[in-house]
Amino acid sequence: MHSPFSLIAFEEDIAAEFNAGKIRAPVHLYFGNEEPIIEVFKQIRPQDWVLCSWRSHYQCLLKGVPPQELKTEIMEGRSISLCFPKQRVFSSAIVGGVVPIAAGVALGIKRTGEDARVYCFMGEMTAETGIAHESVKYCRNHGLPVTWVIEDNGKSVCTDTKSAWGLESHWWEKELPSPDIIAYRYKSKYPHAGAGQRVQF
Amino acid sequence: MKYFDELKRSMEWLAEDPRTVFIGQAVEVPGTAMSNTVKDIPLARRVELPVAEELQMGMTVGLALQGHVPISIYPRWNFLLLAVNQLVSHLDKLDIMSNGGYRPKAIIRTGIGSERPLHPQHQHIGDFTEAFRLMCSTIEVIRLDEPEQVFPAYEKALLREDGRSTLLVEWGDFYSEK
Repeated sequence: MHSPFSLIAFEEDIAAEFNAGKIRAPVHLYFGNEEPIIEVFKQIRPQDWVLCSWRSHYQCLLKGVPPQELKTEIMEGRSISLCFPKQRVFSSAIVGGVVPIAAGVALGIKRTGEDARVYCFMGEMTAETGIAHESVKYCRNHGLPVTWVIEDNGKSVCTDTKSAWGLESHWWEKELPSPDIIAYRYKSKYPHAGAGQRVQF
Repeated sequence: MKYFDELKRSMEWLAEDPRTVFIGQAVEVPGTAMSNTVKDIPLARRVELPVAEELQMGMTVGLALQGHVPISIYPRWNFLLLAVNQLVSHLDKLDIMSNGGYRPKAIIRTGIGSERPLHPQHQHIGDFTEAFRLMCSTIEVIRLDEPEQVFPAYEKALLREDGRSTLLVEWGDFYSEK
């Protein structure tokens, strides 16, 4: 079991490795969402799928990937698209990439009658894309077993999401509480990528 | 056998494998020339999708991850262009990005739009076979130029165990001409 402290400590270790120039690939670190993401994982079972973006260290740990195995993958440069079939974790570095894939996995689950569910994590900018709207609509209307977890840090890289779209509120904010959407806001201490120090390779 | 008959035979052979599922627009209902190649496959094996090409390709990837072998139908290359993101950055890269962990298999059908007897004009007749061969690292792109190529190509696509998906390109005009 992970605590907020152990999650933060893992990311701080990775930050130190990155700032020391030992990871020759991008890393996207979490901070500030420890309590809500731990709460989400209380309902996620071993047979459930977890689909993530380029920022997925916490999901991997909470789904049961051993920390040293995860760190090895990160050190080898694969932080941006971490995949662990044994734990049913799939991540993609493409904005919105996993969202329609979640729909397909869920359709597959429904067709076979397996007792499993898909938990698809995405940021608030991804949740405003066309592919997210299509995927949520399709899954809702066909009763597919997906929970969408929207993590809102207010920006995409450095772009303010609401300002860029001209929004006063996000579409899901009017629907909460929702049977298929979990959403929370958080503020990170890390930049979009890296750990805050320029690294010269 | 003729080109269309080989295609129909291939689809019905694919349907004998319980892992396969046919998805796309006009797979449960008439609508395109390809519809006729799957019309005798049980409805339970066909999933009619809305017009949402990228969603369809993402669902293709997801179904494959879940252990199915999707046959994902895009009647023309020009329509498949709308799904390139999922094709090139996910279906083609799954084996690589997961360090060999995920090796799902999908079968993508597309076509070069027919020009006879009606010419649909230039947004419907693209042949991007060579371009996609250059864009893809693992997906095998096979253009079906002759009837005798058809069944062996689909047979290979289903039976292959090398972790690669297959994109098969059909000629719309050959449905009635070869």
